[in-house]
Amino acid sequence: MGSSFETLVTALIDGDRERSLALVGELIDQGRQPLEIVTEGIETAMASLDRKCTAEQFNLLEIMLAGRAVIAVIHQLFPGDIELPNPRASVVTAVLEGDIHDIGKSILKILLAGSRIRIVDCGKDASIAAVVKAAIESKAVAVCISGLISSIIPLVRTVRPALTAAGLGHVKILAGGAALKQCSADTLNVDFVGQTAFDAVHYISGLVENADAPR
Amino acid sequence: MLPVDRLCRTIQHLPCDRPPVIPQIFAHAAKVAGRDVDAYLGSPDTAAQCQLAAWRHYGLDAVFAVIDLTMEAEALGGTLTRHPGLYPAIRIPPYSADRDFTAMSIPDPAKAGRLPAVLEMIGQLRAGVGENAAVIGLIQGPMTLAVQLVGMEQTLFLAADDTERFLQLLDYATEISRRYGRAQIEAGADVVLVFDPAACPEVVPVGMFREMIGPRIAKLSAALKQAGAKATWLHIAGQTAAILPLYSSFGIDIGNLDYCVDLDKVLAAPGLQTLCLDGNIKPLSFITDNADAIRDSAVELLARFDQRGGFILSSGCEIPPEAQEAAVSALVAAAKDWPQRRTQRTS
Repeated sequence: MGSSFETLVTALIDGDRERSLALVGELIDQGRQPLEIVTEGIETAMASLDRKCTAEQFNLLEIMLAGRAVIAVIHQLFPGDIELPNPRASVVTAVLEGDIHDIGKSILKILLAGSRIRIVDCGKDASIAAVVKAAIESKAVAVCISGLISSIIPLVRTVRPALTAAGLGHVKILAGGAALKQCSADTLNVDFVGQTAFDAVHYISGLVENADAPR
Repeated sequence: MLPVDRLCRTIQHLPCDRPPVIPQIFAHAAKVAGRDVDAYLGSPDTAAQCQLAAWRHYGLDAVFAVIDLTMEAEALGGTLTRHPGLYPAIRIPPYSADRDFTAMSIPDPAKAGRLPAVLEMIGQLRAGVGENAAVIGLIQGPMTLAVQLVGMEQTLFLAADDTERFLQLLDYATEISRRYGRAQIEAGADVVLVFDPAACPEVVPVGMFREMIGPRIAKLSAALKQAGAKATWLHIAGQTAAILPLYSSFGIDIGNLDYCVDLDKVLAAPGLQTLCLDGNIKPLSFITDNADAIRDSAVELLARFDQRGGFILSSGCEIPPEAQEAAVSALVAAAKDWPQRRTQRTS
């Protein structure tokens, strides 16, 4: 990896959107391909951010600034496209009905933005039916539920039966957010509970890599 | 010993008859009173009666004049979303980030939105408990109110892109809270909790708390004390170990510990010797765990803080509305039984 990629990685981690865009322009002028810039720049930056942001150093502002820079770079590399081409997998994200605190979900979207994982966002205050429909249509590998308030815990437990009834029993269910992360996976009837959004990214990356691995 | 005296002595690390126990009970009081959450949220009279019922039922050291956490933003024109049985949430904040926050009006707590309802609730609680409990009000801290007024993402990007305007927004939020907090003290509250979860190091860097948010919290503390507050209390949920040592420098008497904070680090941290701490049982435990487990957790906490003093037994954050009454009762009993249990442990 040349020094130009290192500089781009630093700019992305620092959340310096303008500098990141300028550096991407230089890399393109040098003949670098967009997907190479994604791999060597964005994915490397997000991996560095992951290592930096342990549970005690996690900082929403820094993540959001880095995310804003990443999304700006993606738009520059792939103008007109909402997401990266040739996604490796799809993941549904949602905040369930009764809860409209969606910052956790937004963070997850940022962190997955550079991983060629397509996010299908059901938004906040979402019904179980909407989540299931999104999972069917996108052929999602996972459904990620974020929750701030304890009152939605009973509703979270109904996600698995709803997916199973729709023939999606193989789809993994992840949960996170201030209220849900206090629970065990068994309590919530899900496959995984993340203490931070990075935990969810690791889990999803593992799912996708296992699916990609040659048999 | 009267509860307010117990609280004030605990803040000064002086011996008391027993540790204070002040679980954060808001809408859970409705369950105790046999009312539903919507009734609690819909009427200051009902909310006050529920708080008094919970106080009597559990034998608490304090009651909370808290209906929900959207009062200020709603009073300024924010749009709320409501679901049956749940607290309202801010769906559309009142302002955009490009407003001139130096030229904005401050809502009058006696007239704006539902703010007068809280003042009315304080009056009823004061009359209902007399000297036999502390009455605790609540105001949003500068960062949390800023986020409620403009939106989380917009506020954070403002902090990065236009620091001057961000500080003006913080100043505006601080002034709203100062005026509202003062009104609560004048209405009869003993303490006004400054609720600022958006100031947590999980949201903003420690440096931003130290340089920008903390000084504004200090202004709030000074104003509340000047108005007659018996103590100042800062509540920031989440991983706050890095900022707890700064609280005393901002005039804070009591700082909460959420369940996830490493107690070993807190107890060893320089600069934390004088701060009174409250917490820190996991809130969800009051739904999932049995009374014995809550009691054991409470006893362990009381033992850990016994030598240090300056500790109020509580949950790490709000007791969930659907909490088991037996679990809350176990928490209170642990504090009341502590003197005898302590004697047995040391003999």
